Amino acid sequence: MIRKLLRFNWLSFGAMIALVVIGTLTIKSAGGARDVFFHDKWIDNLQTAVFGLAIYAVLAFVDYRRYLSWLSLPAYVGAVLLLVLVLLVGSSQMGGKRWLWFFQPSEVAKLCVLAFLSQVFGSEEFSFRGRFGFRGFLVAAGLAGLPALLILMEPDLGTTLALVPAVIVILLVAGVWRKGIVTMMGVGVLLAATLLGSVYEAEKPGAAEKTRQSIRYYLGAGDDRRTETQEKRFALAPLKPHQYGRIQTFLFPEGDRTGGSYNYLQARIAIASGGVWGKGFGKGETNHLKYLPQSVSMNDFIFCVYAEEQGYMGSLALLGLFAVLCLSGVWTAGTATDLRGRLMALGVSTLIFAHVYVNIAMSIGLVPITGLPLPFISSGRTFLVIVMAGLGIVQSISIHREELR
Amino acid sequence: MKTEESPFSALIACGLVALIFVLGFTVLAVRLREEQVDNTAVRTFEMERQSKRRVQTAGIRGRILARHGEVLACNVPASSIVLNAEAFAKKSWGGTAAEITNAIARAEKVLGRKSPLTIRDIARHLTNEVSRPLVVWRNVDEDTLARFAEHELDLPGFDYEERLERHYPQGLLAAHLLGYVGREHAKTEAGDRKFHFKENELSGRTGLESYYNSFLRGMPGESELLVDARGFRRAERTIVEPCAGPDLRLTLDLPIQREVERQLRGHCGACVVLDPRDGSVLAMASAPTFDPNEFVPVLKADLYARYLKDSRKPLLNRACAEGYAPGSTFKPITALAGLSVGLNPAEEYECTGAYYLGKFRIRCARTWGHGELDLRTALKESCNAYFCRTGCMAGTNAVMTMARTFGLGSATGLDFVSDYRGIVPDDTWKRNTYSERWYPGDLAQMSIGQGMLLVTPLQMARVIGALGTGRLVRPHLKEGLSFDSVPLSVPKDHLAAVRQGLRAVVSRTGTGHRGADGVEAEVMGKTGTAELGRGATRRKNTWFVAYAKGTEASRPDAQDREVAIAMVIERGESGGGTTAPKVCAVLKTVFNRPPAEKGGAE
Repeated sequence: MIRKLLRFNWLSFGAMIALVVIGTLTIKSAGGARDVFFHDKWIDNLQTAVFGLAIYAVLAFVDYRRYLSWLSLPAYVGAVLLLVLVLLVGSSQMGGKRWLWFFQPSEVAKLCVLAFLSQVFGSEEFSFRGRFGFRGFLVAAGLAGLPALLILMEPDLGTTLALVPAVIVILLVAGVWRKGIVTMMGVGVLLAATLLGSVYEAEKPGAAEKTRQSIRYYLGAGDDRRTETQEKRFALAPLKPHQYGRIQTFLFPEGDRTGGSYNYLQARIAIASGGVWGKGFGKGETNHLKYLPQSVSMNDFIFCVYAEEQGYMGSLALLGLFAVLCLSGVWTAGTATDLRGRLMALGVSTLIFAHVYVNIAMSIGLVPITGLPLPFISSGRTFLVIVMAGLGIVQSISIHREELR
Repeated sequence: MKTEESPFSALIACGLVALIFVLGFTVLAVRLREEQVDNTAVRTFEMERQSKRRVQTAGIRGRILARHGEVLACNVPASSIVLNAEAFAKKSWGGTAAEITNAIARAEKVLGRKSPLTIRDIARHLTNEVSRPLVVWRNVDEDTLARFAEHELDLPGFDYEERLERHYPQGLLAAHLLGYVGREHAKTEAGDRKFHFKENELSGRTGLESYYNSFLRGMPGESELLVDARGFRRAERTIVEPCAGPDLRLTLDLPIQREVERQLRGHCGACVVLDPRDGSVLAMASAPTFDPNEFVPVLKADLYARYLKDSRKPLLNRACAEGYAPGSTFKPITALAGLSVGLNPAEEYECTGAYYLGKFRIRCARTWGHGELDLRTALKESCNAYFCRTGCMAGTNAVMTMARTFGLGSATGLDFVSDYRGIVPDDTWKRNTYSERWYPGDLAQMSIGQGMLLVTPLQMARVIGALGTGRLVRPHLKEGLSFDSVPLSVPKDHLAAVRQGLRAVVSRTGTGHRGADGVEAEVMGKTGTAELGRGATRRKNTWFVAYAKGTEASRPDAQDREVAIAMVIERGESGGGTTAPKVCAVLKTVFNRPPAEKGGAE
């Protein structure tokens, strides 16, 4: 046990605890601005964190090899079943069927998919011919694709997308069909660029009305805020109307101040008006005067609440803590003695990084608005437990670098 | 556990992932720096633009005082019961409006008063100025206020607010002079970037309140509201306290003003009392009058309509906004015009009861004629024939020039909203107005103050003052505002001749003997009876103008006083009979000892 404690990554653990504390306080501030119902949300968060810590401890101090090998398959199957179940009997909230009783199966699925993928490609147990070639890719695509598809049906595009970088990193590091995956990434980037470019062409000031109409038709813009009409949509249109709108406001945030851009503009005001040192805890005006929409201030846009109150220095501190968390995960991966551990550590770190990056980047206009929580800071019990569990596994990988007798 | 990879390539992979992470965090840090450090000012401004509302608070209006500090207009706090919309905020605007309606209904029950607000008013308030208090009961009486204070805890969200309303403690006194105020409905113009809301400020609508509005109004204050995303007020902060305007001290002498108004009561008419040495207006009144307090806080439409419909025109300030034919009070000017072209004051003229000018016949007051008259007697008897002849002898130019010398036909320069210039007709004027030439008959009419000649009582007070002192003054109402007086370009002996006549007017046998009866001062005056209309509408406006100078017989504090007074009464009997006694009463107030004191002295 003492040897385990000696190998314990205190830095990562400390960063996690600090983030839990920061998150709880920020939730208190964000909830304080809302109805009485939300005033005690921070206590919920604290209780969940204690529960998460217990799971963290169990997963960290037990050798990951002992549980990943037998647990990952049932966990994966269980997660898929839960995702099917949520589509059948789940309750709706905020335009998606995401809730099963008290938790979100899609969050659970994230970790289960990563664990199972690293088990499949990192250990000999699931060895099959062509594991690191195209066939391996097909298997991986199938394994990751099934839950991803189920999550998409909820629908929850953000969660699906957040899984993609982690899966790609796992596959690339494992060495599965590298050429193909890199090519596909290139194609993906090109497609995204084309999409952005087309929306830009359609919505830029002075664009020809005919061009605009046809681009909107093929991309599936749907209802037009400018003329307040329901537009026809192309049957195979790649985007949903609100997705088109988000890309549009990403490109032209000033275009629709009170409509689609409102969230973003208020987020921008909140973050920037914090200045270097912030307005102080509980003094964020954008939040407390409810300019920041209440429905998102505790979840997807909680970074704004934090940044307004703590300023640039606070933001840097937060980024630093996340960097410590993610990079120590990579360090763990680097020092891991087996591929399975390495893949898992990288997968969890990438998952956290993707969430942090996308969440913060969307509130400062670097990516279009996507509904992703900020790990530890956003109020969301399932995700908090899942992230802590993932970090517990990473800790276990760090502790059990060499098999201990 | 064997892996397919060499440790070396695994390390490269980890390094690459680490690099991507570091890169990602750096991008975030750089972009955050741009927003949180470089854009702070811009975004803070955007934040304030959406969350701050600047309100201009009304300045405190200065008081209006009479000569000796008596308060004529002041401010009194009036309490209104208001409602703060933020206390009733519900998720939807409809819900909020319903909540407010219920709260008002509750308060109505508690206070036992109906609120004038309709659901539409509430909706308008919620749309337009939700961050400001909604006035439920304006200017409530003390009973209601006491009941409200008692039940304040049962009525959350309600509050009371004080604002200053204008009050005229002297009631009707000098109403025309003071004027009244109204609440300026301060519309914030679209281009107004400084204020979102402006408190309705008191602003003078007429009279001195209007003329000295910018002097009295004080400096508006400024406060700032912090509002949330829906516009509800969260906090309020005073930035600049409103500042009180200075007091306006008038030259008005309140005892004289009171006496003047008492004399005018029941008549249509006006009176002006001037100090002919410096032009300060001691009293100025017009009858019938109105109560400026009825205009506070707002004039009821029906009351205003009644004022406007009243044929006696109570809102008209007859003292300086209405022109009257001066009648015989103009005769001293005709006399001076005659003297200027060589009339011998001692020369006698025989009045036969009328003056004939071609076909024209101008009757004299005494049908059978005054007989032989010199200037003094002519003035004393107010003989029409004598002055028709004198005017015709002097010619239009001389009469008009003399009238203008005395300031007729032009504004007096009084610091007041209305200062009617009157009409001194001449050839050009008549051609322009009536497209008719100037007949000698017009001159004859003008010589006795009839015809097209129009003057205000203020002008006439100035004329008689100038006759008394030899200098023409510019009248003023504000204390300390003194203008240089202009010496009349009239030879001293001419003036003396006319003065002699005017003194004779108030002598025991003069037409105006009742104008100075018992006044303990040296008085000279002139009566006037201007005839207007024909047949059934025939009526007479009766004048009396007087100049009085204190003597040793006067009350000690009035011994060095001089006053010029002009009074006109519409539809009177005659100047000497109707108006002179009223002027006499006023003069007694100025110069005589109070009866009690007199009794003690005897």
